[in-house]
This record gives sequence, C-alpha cells and structure tokens, in this order.
Amino acid sequence: MRTYISAVLGAAALTVSLSAPAAAETRSYVVSWFGLATNSDEKDCPGGPNPGVQLQYLKSLADLGYNSKQIEEMVKKSQNGDGGEMFDALRNRGRMDGKPVSPYIYPATTKDPQWKAITGKQAFGFNLDGRGEATRNGFEDPQTHEKGVNNELYRALGCYISMRGSLSGRPTYWAWAWGQLKDSQPAWLITVDGADLSKDGPVTVTFDRALEHLKSNVDGSPRADATYRIDSDPRSHNSYRGEIKGGMVTITDHTDFRMLQNPLVAPEVKLSKAHLRMKLKDDGTLDAFLGGYQPWSDLYFSFGSGGIGIEQCVTGDVPGLYWLMRKHADADPDPKTGQNTTISATYYMEGVQAFAAQPMTPKVAGDAGAR
Amino acid sequence: MRSLLFRTTALLIALGGLAACSADTSKQTVSAPAAKTAAVQKDAVYAPRQLVMRRLSGEQYQNVIHDVFGPTIELGGRFEPDLRVGGLLAVGSGDVSITAAGIEQYDTMSRRIAGQVVDEKRRDMMLRCKPANAAAPDDVCAGQVMARVGRILYRRPLSQTELQAYVTAANVGAVKTKSFYAGLQLSLAAMLSSPKFLFRTEMSEPDPDHAGGWRLDAYSKASQLSFFLWNSGPDQILLDAADSGKLNTRKGVAEQVERMIASQRLEEGVRAFFIDNFGFDQFETLTKDTTLFPKFSAQAAADAQEQTLKTIVDLLLKNKGDYRDIFTTKKTFITQELGAIYRIPVVDTLPNGAPDTWQPYEFAATDPRGGILTQVAFTALHSPPGRGSPTLRGKALREVLLCQKVPAPPAAVKFDIVQDTNNPLYKTARDRLAAHANNPVCAGCHKIIDPIGLALENFDGAGAYRTTEQGAKIDTSGMLDGVNFTNAAELGKVVHDNPATTSCLVNRLSAYAIGRPVQEAAWLDDLKQRFSASNYQLPALMREIAMSDNFFAVVQSETKAAATEAAPQREAR
Repeated sequence: MRTYISAVLGAAALTVSLSAPAAAETRSYVVSWFGLATNSDEKDCPGGPNPGVQLQYLKSLADLGYNSKQIEEMVKKSQNGDGGEMFDALRNRGRMDGKPVSPYIYPATTKDPQWKAITGKQAFGFNLDGRGEATRNGFEDPQTHEKGVNNELYRALGCYISMRGSLSGRPTYWAWAWGQLKDSQPAWLITVDGADLSKDGPVTVTFDRALEHLKSNVDGSPRADATYRIDSDPRSHNSYRGEIKGGMVTITDHTDFRMLQNPLVAPEVKLSKAHLRMKLKDDGTLDAFLGGYQPWSDLYFSFGSGGIGIEQCVTGDVPGLYWLMRKHADADPDPKTGQNTTISATYYMEGVQAFAAQPMTPKVAGDAGAR
Repeated sequence: MRSLLFRTTALLIALGGLAACSADTSKQTVSAPAAKTAAVQKDAVYAPRQLVMRRLSGEQYQNVIHDVFGPTIELGGRFEPDLRVGGLLAVGSGDVSITAAGIEQYDTMSRRIAGQVVDEKRRDMMLRCKPANAAAPDDVCAGQVMARVGRILYRRPLSQTELQAYVTAANVGAVKTKSFYAGLQLSLAAMLSSPKFLFRTEMSEPDPDHAGGWRLDAYSKASQLSFFLWNSGPDQILLDAADSGKLNTRKGVAEQVERMIASQRLEEGVRAFFIDNFGFDQFETLTKDTTLFPKFSAQAAADAQEQTLKTIVDLLLKNKGDYRDIFTTKKTFITQELGAIYRIPVVDTLPNGAPDTWQPYEFAATDPRGGILTQVAFTALHSPPGRGSPTLRGKALREVLLCQKVPAPPAAVKFDIVQDTNNPLYKTARDRLAAHANNPVCAGCHKIIDPIGLALENFDGAGAYRTTEQGAKIDTSGMLDGVNFTNAAELGKVVHDNPATTSCLVNRLSAYAIGRPVQEAAWLDDLKQRFSASNYQLPALMREIAMSDNFFAVVQSETKAAATEAAPQREAR
C-alpha cells in the first residue's frame, strides 16, 4: 500500500493545481459507471410497474381514437411485417391545432397517459430543499437512513420497466446509456485532495472531463491506474470544498455541477445545489451519489431525440416520461407559468483509481521512439 | 492453369536448387576432401566446428525480404515452429527442416511477395529494367533482375546454370501467360521458395592460417557475419568484400566487422539475440486469466517484450553500458498500456485509439523495480496463467541468465498445494512451496530455484506490484550462490555481481553466433577475459567473437561422429 500511495503521490505532480490547503495526498479516479440511482422493490409501484411499450402503444392508439378492431388490425399487420400504418400513427401521435405532430418533439401535444410513479418510501438521495422530514413526499435514503430525501426524478421514472433496477442490477435504460457513453465521450475524472485521505479532515473534490475515453481491460472492465489528461475546458471543471469522515467524502459547497456529456443521453449534466456522498474504498475503487436539481426538460429532450427507435427498444413511452417529469418537478418554478423547471435527482457513480494529468503540448506522433 | 504452371515451375526449380546444393561447382563453394582433425594446427583457442545448414528464422526471412524489396512488402504467411536447442533457437535452426505444410506456407508467401514486386505500381522501382515487349519474354531484363535479386537472396552470386534456369522459367511463364511480368513473378516466386534462400548453407575451404584446417568460404563468412550482427543477409558491400576476397583476410574482416558494428543495424542483431536468449517466442502462447489479470492485454504482452529490449538497447548500445547493469538499471521505457500495470502515470498526447508511444522513464532509487528481472516481460512470461511462480522464475534465472541447468521435475509430482493460491493454511507462495518441498523428491531442485524466485514475489503473475498475498506480508528474502538478499532490487545486484552472469552471456552469444553450443573452454575463457577487459561492453564482445578464428573455423564430415557424441540435449520450445 505504501508503494501504491507513493505512486499516487508521484502522480500528484501531474495533477491540476487545486485550492486545497497543503494537500499532501491526491487520489484521482475515472468514472466507470454513471446512471440514475435506483433501488426498485416489489411494492414501490402500486399494482406493479407500468406496462411494457407494446401495451403502452395500444393505449396511445386508443387515446388517438382508434377502436379496438382497428387497433387489432394494425397490430396484426405489424406482426406480419407491415407496421407502417401503426408506426405512422404512433410516430405522429401528437396533435397541434388538430394536426398530427411528432410526440417526441412536442410531448405536450399528447394526452397525458397517467403512467404511475413511485409510491415507495425509499430512494437514494439528499435533503436538497433543507426541509428534512418536513419535506412533502420525502424519501428515506436506504443507506444513510436520512429522511426527507428529495429525489423526484426517481419517483417520476421509477415505475417504467426500463428505469427499474438497483445499484448492482443496472436499470436497462441507464445500462444502455452508459454503454453508449463510455466509449463515445471523454471520461470523467474525480480528484480528491487532502492532507491524509486515510484520516478524517477537510478535502477538495474536483470533477473534470478528460481528453481520453474511459479505458477498458481485456475483459471489458474499467482499467485502473490508467492515465488521463484533464480537459482544460472550464465548462466541465467543478471544484468543491468538502470533508472526509470514516472514508466517506462529502462536499460542503453546494454549488452548481456541470459536466459535458454525449448528447445521445444529454448534452450535459447540470445540477444545482449539488450534493455528493462518495466512499473511497480500500480496493482502489469508489462509489458515489451525486445529487441536485436538474432541468428536467433537458433530460426529456434527450429521451425524445431518440424517437421511436429508443422508445421501442429502450425507454418505453417517451411522451409519458415528459408528463411524469413535468408532474413531479419540484424546484425552480417558472415565474410566468409556475411550472417547476428542475427536478430533484440523484445519480450513482462508480470509479476506479487513475492518474489525472495536465495536458501537454501536442507532439509529433512517434517522436518518443515508437516502434 | 496458371496456378498449376506456377506450382510446377516452383517445384522444379526448387528441386533443382536442392541438387545444386551439392553439385554446383561453378565457383569455389564445395568442400575439398576431408583432412584429419588431428592434423589441424593447434593453438589455445582454436576450435573448429561442423558445417551447418540453418533454416532462416521468420524474422530473418522478413528482414531479407525487406532488405531486397523494401519494408512495404507484406509476407502474408506463417512460419514453421522453431526448435530450441541448448537454450537457443539459433542453435536449433541447424536441426530443423520444412514440413509439407511449411512448404505450402513458403509457397504462399513467395507467390504473394513476387506478386507485390511485379505489381504495376511497384515494378519500375523494384525491377529497374523494362522488357522490350511487356507481353513477351525478355532475356535481358529477366536476367538482370534475377541476377541482382538472386545475389541477395542466395547471399552469393548465382551460377550461370542457376541464372539460366530462372531466366528460362521466366520466359516459359511469359509465353504461357503472354506477360513478361507474370513470367517473372513465377520465376521469382520459385527463387523465394528455394532451399538456397530458405536455408543458410555453409560451404568450406582449406584454411591457410591453420594447416590442415578448414574455414568457411567468403560468402558463408559474409552470411555468418551478417546474420550474427544484423540478423539479416549480407548487404551489397559485404558481398562485394566476399567477391574481392577481402573476407579471407583478417584486415578485410575487421573492416567489415567495424562497419557493421558501427551501423544502426547492429540493434537488430542485438535484439534478435536477446529475443532468442530470453525465449520471447514463448509470448506467442502466453495466456493470462483475464479475471485475475484483466490489464494483461495482447498489447501489454507486446509492450513488455519491447520494454525489455529497449532497456537493453538503450543501455548497451546507445549508452555503451556495462552488460551487468541490465539487472540493476532504474532506467527504462514505458507506454500507457504498461503504465497501468506498473501504476505509473504515462501522459501521451495522441488521439483516442492511436497506438501508444514510448517514453523514457526512470524509477526512483527507492522503487522496488529496477533491472530486467523486475520488468513485466520476465515476471509475467515465467508465470502460469493464474498466479506468479517463484519456481518458474527461479528456474528461468538459473537457466537463461546464469546458464545453470535445472533438472526437470520427476514424474507424478503433485502440485496441488503450490497451485492452491486460496489455501488459508498457506497464504503466500513461500508457505506453499515450503509445504511442497516437504517431499524430499522435490526439495533438492526447489532449494536452488525457489529462493531466487521468491525474491520476485512482490510481482504478481502479470508483473504488477504487491506487498501481500491473501493478506499476509510477502517475504522476498533469499540467497543466490551464497549471497543473501532481501528483495528484488538486491537480487538484481547479486545477479549483477555473480561471475556466472557474464560467463553465461559469453557462452550464449558465442553459441548463437556459430549455431551450436560452444564446448571449447579455452575459446570461451579467452572471450570472457576480453569481455571483462572491455568493461562488459556487448558490442566489444560481439566484435571479439566475429574476429576470432573460431567464428569461421569448420571441420569436415569425418569428425561428425565425434561431434555428435557431444550433441546437446534438445528442448521443447
């Protein structure tokens, strides 16, 4: 362990200059999993989760005014390879001034399908609104047992089959999303600075984007001890004061969090009143919960941009997600409409130890003696 | 039809080539009647050897092709497995032939190479002449090409008979295919399939400097020098020196040796020796349990070999260092792929997916790593797929680096305790080996190999550093030939100081140079003294070997029986 630490200290010389006072130990990690923190159970959706996409489509068709015989005929055709009529109807199930429009671009032009949301009592997260147990519909965090936890995004999405799962049993949507992200976007780096990370005390936690993608091992697992260069783009630089206690890192600056992401999932992850709970584990990995209020329309349009393909294969009824998030959004009301523009959310992250380095001046390929 | 024509042409010329190995007397290449060894003039270090016919290694084949036709030529085939004898593939190369499947591979490669040479885009540069009519035979152009290329491929000028056979083959092919280039391709492919190219056939002549003795002829000397120092065939200058007879003079040999040692191509020769000596061919079949060692990728394996070679080349050639320092040097080179295993930050500036670049790296003085024994190439290569192995590492150190033979384990030995890395009773390899060595049949060998292998237990089966195993602290202390050490760094120093280390290098390098294990103690002693006097400079040792009379000395077949009695034990690869 001593040698390992010395290697890390060696890396510290490469890491970005941080504001932590007299930081004697620096550890960097690369994020190896990012997704909504979920803890689904058998009782959290009354009567079971929302139906699968095929049944959701039948409901959508009925809402559009098709009778059961017409729907049955369209389904039969679809099952025989002629789904044109049915999918045209679904692809244009929004109605604007009586005319069909894309429900993905104009979700408010669809009829609210009234899909269920979580009624369970537990969700990972933080007391974002500061009201504690006084929070209306607050959750209890299953790990910390803190009450009054705000995580309305989980409530809104949690009865969709694709969004159900646990920390180890990844939800289908987030597993798909991470599968796309990890190989297509620069990796995210987390660096913790402190006097001695094996002891309690103040720390600085920094999130940065790397210039490299997440590196993988031969078995597909994230590679530990790989080197990443820090992207100097300030849009993805987030630094917070915090503390470490019993190996658990939390931040005390609850400012904004912003990190660029692959637009396939969301152009960026933006959180206000950011909260963090991060466990630095002895095996060199970490797991973390990152919470805050997130603009829900950004998230919706990421779902919507996938259109019927994503809807069928991954998420389920996309406009239904819009209605759920809109209904459960719990902060930052629009001054004109009163509609809340952000929704409390908590994401779960995992990471493996890495070296974070300042980028160097580009050099000519091969000048280091590549054979 | 074309394929049949091609195969027939190639086979006929190849068979003709085989006959020519013993019948071509157009120059001075065939051995004269034998003389009794006893009549050979004696001196302290003179030790003639038998003539050898050695198959080119895959690397040598490639190097020659690239020398002749350029580095863009793709071979597109696989080579026959090599045979390790006396610890070296170079020695085994004199004991191998070519199987029927191997012939097919060489045939495939020769056709592919010849096709690239006459390709429309390359032919002007490659052939340097044009036929009067591209749809008809052309004796002049075909003759020029075959003579020039043949001289390099055969490492001597073609005889008139040989040249005429190839020109005729090209002409016949051109008539049948109505293409000069297709005909030339057929003939060139036949030359590339010939045993005269695929095998280094040594020829001898009387040695005027040792009455009654024999030596290699000038072209065989050229090949001997070139494959030893450059791991490729002779270049034009060396062949010119053979043509002119300069290689039959000590001064002429010295000029060429100095030129070749001063050349950057010496690095290829040095690399080839260490690749062979360290058994890096075993990386081709090395596997690791991906669950236990997920960082050990194919790229990591390739980089590990290259790291050790770069370390050696940098120290011994570029910095003219002491050979013994390869066991202690803190300086090496690193890639990002290796950096993850070594837990070293390696910053690169290339885009995602670009091949890693090499960067110099120096371990801190207090770092447990230093010297090639602590590099991934050694620790990972000498480990089974799921664990490290003090036994394999100790055996390799004894056999490869100290030239001390370790007996094979007796039959029906149970290894279950050694292999059970989860055994709560024996948490570390030292514990497990101690339990295993309770068996007196095993104890003898383990006593000489385990203590040095255990010094490397801080490196797991993939070469990553660790201080504990199953939660128990790893003890890396031990003893080598009466000298104690406490860890891998100290082991490196002990190996550095062990006289067997340099002695072993002399043995191996001289055997590598002449293609058989060297048993002439006087010659080896002389080389060892000269090596020591040079402060253990590798190029100096290579020069001494290349300049010694023994390097070219041969005996005739009558003494073969006597030599065979002392033939080395063959080893599986």
